[in-house]
Amino acid sequence: MTGLDRLDLRSKITGNIGAWIAVGVIALVVMAAAPAILTPFQMRVGMSIFFSAGLAVAWGLLGGYAGYYSFGHTAFLGIGAFTGALLSNYLHAVSPLVVFGLSILAAVAVCGVLAALIAYPVLRLRHSYFAIVMLGIAYVAAEVINNFDWFQGSIGIVVPQVVPRGMRPEMFFYYALLAAAAICVVVTALLVSGRVGYALMTIREDEDTAKMLGIATERYKILAFVVSAMLTSLVGVVYAFSIGFITTGAVFRTDFSLNMIVCSLIGGIGTIVGPVFGAIILTVLTQVVLADALSFRLATTGALIVIIVLLAPSGVLGLVRGAAARIRQ
Amino acid sequence: MSIRMNRRTLLASAAGGVLALPFTSRGRAVAQAAKTVVLGGSIPLTGAAAETGMNVFAGYKTLVKFINEELKGFDVGGERVTFELNMIDDASEAQRATTLIQRQIDEGIEFFLGSFSSQIVLPTAAITERAGKVMVQTGGGSDQIFSQGFQSVFGMYPRASRSVYPAVDAFLSMDPKPQSAVVIYTNDPFSRLQADGVTAYIKEQGMNLLETYSLPAEVTDVSGVLASIRELKPDVALCVTHDQNSQLITAQMAATNTNVKGLFQVLGPATENYRKSLGNKADDIFAVTSWSEDMKYGDDIVGTAKDFANYYRKVETRPLVFHVVNGAQCIMIYMRAMQAAGSLEPMAVRDAIKGLDIMTFGGPIQFMPEGDGHPVKMGLKIAQVQKGELKVVFPKEVAAASAIWPMTPWDAR
Amino acid sequence: MHVFLQTLLDGLMLGGLYALAASGFSLIFGVMGILNLAHGAFLVLGAYVGLQISQSLSIEPILTLPAVVVVLFAAGALFQRYLVQLTVDRGGLVASLLVTFGVSLIIHDLLAHFYGPGSRTIVSSYAYSRIEFGGLVIGLSRLVPLVVSIVLILALHFMLARSRLGREMRAASQQIVAARLCGINVRRVFALTFGIASAYAGVAGVLVGTVLPFSPNSETYWTISAFVVVVLGGAKSPAGTLLGGLLLGILNTMTAQFISPLFTSTVMFLVLVLMLLVRPQGILGHAAGATR
Repeated sequence: MTGLDRLDLRSKITGNIGAWIAVGVIALVVMAAAPAILTPFQMRVGMSIFFSAGLAVAWGLLGGYAGYYSFGHTAFLGIGAFTGALLSNYLHAVSPLVVFGLSILAAVAVCGVLAALIAYPVLRLRHSYFAIVMLGIAYVAAEVINNFDWFQGSIGIVVPQVVPRGMRPEMFFYYALLAAAAICVVVTALLVSGRVGYALMTIREDEDTAKMLGIATERYKILAFVVSAMLTSLVGVVYAFSIGFITTGAVFRTDFSLNMIVCSLIGGIGTIVGPVFGAIILTVLTQVVLADALSFRLATTGALIVIIVLLAPSGVLGLVRGAAARIRQ
Repeated sequence: MSIRMNRRTLLASAAGGVLALPFTSRGRAVAQAAKTVVLGGSIPLTGAAAETGMNVFAGYKTLVKFINEELKGFDVGGERVTFELNMIDDASEAQRATTLIQRQIDEGIEFFLGSFSSQIVLPTAAITERAGKVMVQTGGGSDQIFSQGFQSVFGMYPRASRSVYPAVDAFLSMDPKPQSAVVIYTNDPFSRLQADGVTAYIKEQGMNLLETYSLPAEVTDVSGVLASIRELKPDVALCVTHDQNSQLITAQMAATNTNVKGLFQVLGPATENYRKSLGNKADDIFAVTSWSEDMKYGDDIVGTAKDFANYYRKVETRPLVFHVVNGAQCIMIYMRAMQAAGSLEPMAVRDAIKGLDIMTFGGPIQFMPEGDGHPVKMGLKIAQVQKGELKVVFPKEVAAASAIWPMTPWDAR
Repeated sequence: MHVFLQTLLDGLMLGGLYALAASGFSLIFGVMGILNLAHGAFLVLGAYVGLQISQSLSIEPILTLPAVVVVLFAAGALFQRYLVQLTVDRGGLVASLLVTFGVSLIIHDLLAHFYGPGSRTIVSSYAYSRIEFGGLVIGLSRLVPLVVSIVLILALHFMLARSRLGREMRAASQQIVAARLCGINVRRVFALTFGIASAYAGVAGVLVGTVLPFSPNSETYWTISAFVVVVLGGAKSPAGTLLGGLLLGILNTMTAQFISPLFTSTVMFLVLVLMLLVRPQGILGHAAGATR
């Protein structure tokens, strides 16, 4: 197994769960109250952060904890977005918020079922092979949605407006994406804090040994895969409503898949707060600090990835922990 | 506008306004306190649409420079106005574009220019519309943009589904008149709408549509399509494809000696790389353009189409293609509408844009009630590559040359 | 029957291009187990180097190949020596995926900056020449890449099978520690592997440029198609790469001819997924460790 995503199991055990819950609740309250003072632009930056954070945490359940790096999670984002967009265009008479709710449920359900169907064969593959097969699946999904007219992927779908009258759209979607990201964090935390988490981490460290120890590796891997896909589609469908018009090219993007990995990597892979930090850092960097840069933005992102992998392989969280440990000594 | 004016400045600017009318005003020193109007918006300078994005951006820059430096601004309600361009790179990505557009709205920018490709223009236009700001864009032609009920969003082209009609009209004006056609298109939002529109129009005009071929965005080989064309022997082939695919189609048609009487490609022939790399194989191919520098367009601000071309070459290095001109026209629209409104209040300017019916160096400007360009006045013109240069051949009123018909067979070149 | 034969021929010629474009990717994966996501970027870089040289000296594109080989070999070897090796040492193979991806972004952005994001073509003197026999048509610009591809892939095969460096590469691919014990300078071998692979990518880039328009964006397509070729043919053997490439080419033209040109990419990705699920070691290959 690689040193990159090695997490000290003991820190998990000794970590104070109560403290983390307190921090989480405070953070949530602060973020929920923030729109009172935020400008619309800052709310949109918030939306981007929640979007990336939700995706990165969802990806991390499988990639960070089980060590299965998916290079094609945008498949679930895209399928979720299109399920929601298509369904919402059929629901005319109902109130907007009901449309929104039903679309979300449908998107998450569809992705859950699809993920469950492909989980077994796909998870037989390991390492790079798993990464590529997921990349391939994302491309196949995009091609199907683009080339069969029923999905309207090639000409694009206008997603109906669901914002309640009198509410600013950026505020509505700030809360919607915040909720989606919070659900990703809570579900992932609940799963990994118990038995499932240990099983997944054991699989990541050495799958064959895990099996020998009597861990039902298949079952845990499939669980992580399906939940990860459902969380990804949750973020995807909310995103589709917030953008208002989607085409295949707008939601099936390899760079979305890679951003999930990069956020996890920057923050600290195999943790929950890590990807959240990563999303904050990456979003602020690309949409605030480098917002006015007219060239070399891609190259800067590329260089950043290279530098982090080489100099801080356990991410910002790793650096913080290292520093804290040194201080304690 | 709450800036107080005293009698003197009012008189001075009124005088300035009179002087500015004929275009003798170039280089005139201006003493009034100038007001700077910021034009915001995003443009793709990286990512999939970067090439066209850069062309549109060059057009924006050129006319802003011209207005600020050559005209020293213009008068609106007795005030001297200059433009400042504040564009950001949206990387051809919708989320980034919407976030950054929001920042500009928060900063108080009231007039926006558009990005390129409908998947970005539509979400950003929804934000500016809602905020009560104005957008004039030259990069989103998809029908969906104009069916949202937007009141303050204007597009430089007729909507996509109608935009390729002139190609069919041009072919039908040829002698001998072609009887049959095939359509080849890329399956992406804009091309797809254009192709659906044009196939319907071909049938409506009584031509025999033999086949339509749909291509993915990445094409490495079109031998199969060409074999089918050699078999069907259509009189004309219409390609609703992007630069790269158009170029591949032409190269392979020449290499396999697949001849038709007329070959039309929406995008491709207008770019220099296309004509340079295909050499004489590019000759006789029809393309769209909205403009060419020998057109008899003109106004009393920039001058003729030729004058614009000369100025452009002085200040920019990118090749002069029609996207540049359309970008420049967006700036012109703002200037003329602000003058007509006599105000910098967004909704007044918006109403003035709706009422515009003017001629410019880039052609006539008039918008439909839904915000798309007038299908005839702002409709695309049909050009043909003749000896390596793009010449407008249709409609006859603006034609700079007569069409070569039928096209020279590949092997005779 | 005639249509079928013509489609088969077109597929073979396209396949030559796919095979050559994937051979470097396959070599690196076979010897070092690294999926080089910057492979497509190196290919496109090669195309631009070829374009630059053939335009400034106004020479036939094919004559630029030696220079392209030198430039790309150096770039590839340095890339491996100073970045990839460091990454693998510190973060393992998965980290190398991220670093090679980061580098592909950098190359992409630099090319777009210096050459513009628009599409370019390399014009050869034989671009529109063709051979016709029995009603079948072969474009010379597509035949040349097929021939070059077969020759170069055979050369790679013999290099791996017969030469000292080839034996060292095979040894290092099986057991790094054992190879070291036998006195092989594994680091040098790996750097050479990357250099040779990048040189192959560069040659493929120039040939691609004579057949298809390319832009910095084409980078992704060539990386993905290399994946498909390797998955079809299996890594570790040049013969497998050639077979995988030709199969992909034929699959592409057959889909376009008998289903719809629209579905060429769909079928390509579907094959990628199905092959991985059913036979991850490729048709000829013998990659271990893909599954349990």
